[in-house]
Amino acid sequence: MNILIIEDEARIARRLHRMTVQFFGNKPAEVTICDSLKKGLDHIAGHVPNLLLLDLNLNGDNGFEVLEQMVAAPFHTIIVSANIDKAITAFAYGVLDFVPKPFNEDRLFQAFTRFINPAVKSNEGIKYLAVKTAGQVRLISIDDVVYIKGAGIYTELHLKNGKQELHDKSMELLQQLMPDGFERIHKSYLVNLGQVEKILVNPGSRYSMLLKTGEVLPVGRSKYKELKNRTA
Amino acid sequence: MHNLLLLLMLLGWLDQPIIRNNEPNPVYRVGDNPAWATKNYADGDWSPHRGNTADRIFWSRTQLDLREVKKELLPLGLQIESFGAFEVYWDGVLIGKNGQVPNNGKLEIPGTENSYYPIPDSLTKAGPHTVALRSSQSFLPGVQRSIGFGIYNYAAMISRPLVTMSYMNIMAGAFLTAALYYFFLYLNSSRRQADILVFSTICLLFFATLVMEYLKFHVVIPYSQFFIRLEIIGWLTFANALLVPWYFIIQFNFRKGTWLMSILLLSLLLLYVINYRHYDLTARLYSLAMLVAAFIVVAKGTMQREKGGFIVLAGLLSSALVNNYIVYDYGLFISFTIIVLCMLYLHSIRTSFIEAEHQNAVVLSSRLKLELLKKNIQPHFLRNTLTSMMDWVEESPKEGSRFIQALAAEFDIMNEISEMTLIPIGKELELCRQHLSVMGFRKEINYSFETINIDEAQLIPPAIIHTLLENGITHSAPLPGNTVKFILLYTLTKEMHSYIFQTIAENQQHLSNRTGGNGFKYIRARLTESYGANWAFDSSATGKGWQSTIQIYRR
Repeated sequence: MNILIIEDEARIARRLHRMTVQFFGNKPAEVTICDSLKKGLDHIAGHVPNLLLLDLNLNGDNGFEVLEQMVAAPFHTIIVSANIDKAITAFAYGVLDFVPKPFNEDRLFQAFTRFINPAVKSNEGIKYLAVKTAGQVRLISIDDVVYIKGAGIYTELHLKNGKQELHDKSMELLQQLMPDGFERIHKSYLVNLGQVEKILVNPGSRYSMLLKTGEVLPVGRSKYKELKNRTA
Repeated sequence: MHNLLLLLMLLGWLDQPIIRNNEPNPVYRVGDNPAWATKNYADGDWSPHRGNTADRIFWSRTQLDLREVKKELLPLGLQIESFGAFEVYWDGVLIGKNGQVPNNGKLEIPGTENSYYPIPDSLTKAGPHTVALRSSQSFLPGVQRSIGFGIYNYAAMISRPLVTMSYMNIMAGAFLTAALYYFFLYLNSSRRQADILVFSTICLLFFATLVMEYLKFHVVIPYSQFFIRLEIIGWLTFANALLVPWYFIIQFNFRKGTWLMSILLLSLLLLYVINYRHYDLTARLYSLAMLVAAFIVVAKGTMQREKGGFIVLAGLLSSALVNNYIVYDYGLFISFTIIVLCMLYLHSIRTSFIEAEHQNAVVLSSRLKLELLKKNIQPHFLRNTLTSMMDWVEESPKEGSRFIQALAAEFDIMNEISEMTLIPIGKELELCRQHLSVMGFRKEINYSFETINIDEAQLIPPAIIHTLLENGITHSAPLPGNTVKFILLYTLTKEMHSYIFQTIAENQQHLSNRTGGNGFKYIRARLTESYGANWAFDSSATGKGWQSTIQIYRR
């Protein structure tokens, strides 16, 4: 487990480091501190971390540019910032958590718990998915996503306009970020329930889902029961 | 406008004179003979020149050719403009006296220059008539002035000066009010502006000119004192001819004002000398010189795009036209009124400009005050400080309490200076040291702050060195040994106070270029607030770190 801390205040960086090590104490975790954004981005280029703790001055010139880059990346980002008025925006962009300064152990551990436990979902209203194409980051509205298909370490976003976009985050990471309306129907599919036409039962206890777009997706057997219970 | 109407009316009325011969020429004879009063006395051998009559009695006879007069115009009156004391005989009939000619060894009682006499209706038939004056001119006997005659409806003639004066007094009252108002304004203004005083003086002088001009209508001035009034009017016009261009020089920021004023003064003096005793001509030339000088200033001002330039230029042009085409008496006053209106207009522009400037200054000051207060409660500072503080308290309560004290001390100083626009540099340095102490706890960098040649008594705007320090902390990485050093160097020269603030450290690399941002804006705004345009600020990277220079010019 690689955890990167970008924080220019030595005292706060040490605090984050200490608490991180304490939380992940029973797991082999490598924690790195970079004391400037520039150094941090350089570091990421070489070693992709599993989790980024980022002190981002979102009021600065390029705070949101950096944020877009980070949320498009294949790892989760937790913002640790003094600009608490920007928390909602940060969540909309798809950060895993926003820890307002000053923070104590409990609050930071809550964020880490969310990271290690996929069942704990963020309720903070992600609105966009940032995708990187040809070095450019674009924001895609969550409402435009029909379903997400896992493709190895990447995911494919299938959009209402019929287009597809690749996202660097894995299915598991995205599922943690997506809001309640998205349901995992198969190990490879995460569907926007608003786009479902009906569930089809095929011969041989095989299930599938007809979408409003006309596409048919497979539904896992265990997932079917779950969905049925939910809709009943 | 009323004046203009009145004037045109008067001019129209004067256009049809009752006396038909254009320039009646008097003939003179020294001596005294009652027969010389008769209408048809043969005066062919009399002289067209009076000569120096000393204190002797002399007679003058003048033929006036009257046109047919409508009944409505009766009774007629005779207006005589002449020096001396005299008895007036109209076709041999005594119709009035002006002063008293020497009589039985009694000295002459001087008459007044302008006098009016009713003419008996029976003697106003069309055709030639004779005005014979039995005169003396014991005072100013050498002054040769022709005798002016006018015949009008008697009632109109007597009341005309009153009508004229009533209009002129309205104008004079307006000028007096303006003079007093602007004088009080000048007295009670915190910034005593020369232009206001000049304007007030112009109004007062013009009021005096008007009063002097029409004094003749309500004070009987003996002809022996006649020139005193003209002399006074001349000098009043002289003064105004200087002051009006001066006012425009101030208003339009005319650069070579001293030169222009010197040339103008010389020209006016020259005009005075050359045309000595030609009062009306001199006054006319004075106002011409004034118009020329004012025109130069205003034209230049218009080219410099000074506010109100065009309107004043138009005003001056119309003023010149009026001055040129209307009889002097009225022309001068109307043209002058136009100029003063221009000045009032300029003044109102200027006042509203100053008002807006003042408003801006007030807004700026309160904005800066807020910005200063915000420095310590803006989230980036406060929340990072609190986070570090939490850590210190948890790890080392003793150090934590020192940290809290340092922060409290910084807050105290901020609070103390937040209302001020200038503070002693000593206070500013204290603030900087407290800030460094706080930041030392946060960043765990060894900050040092060296001051060189500081004069503790000097005043500077609050928190500008503090802002430079903040920038230095934010944008610097420590040198090997975990140190960042700041140096403040003060130098005083004849021209300026100069503060050089150096950061000796590694400059942080940034994703985007440093533009200076809000901190520099704050510094510039503070310098403007206290020093107007008399400052310079510069900030740039050096080989050793960063250097900012603040220069405050001494006036």
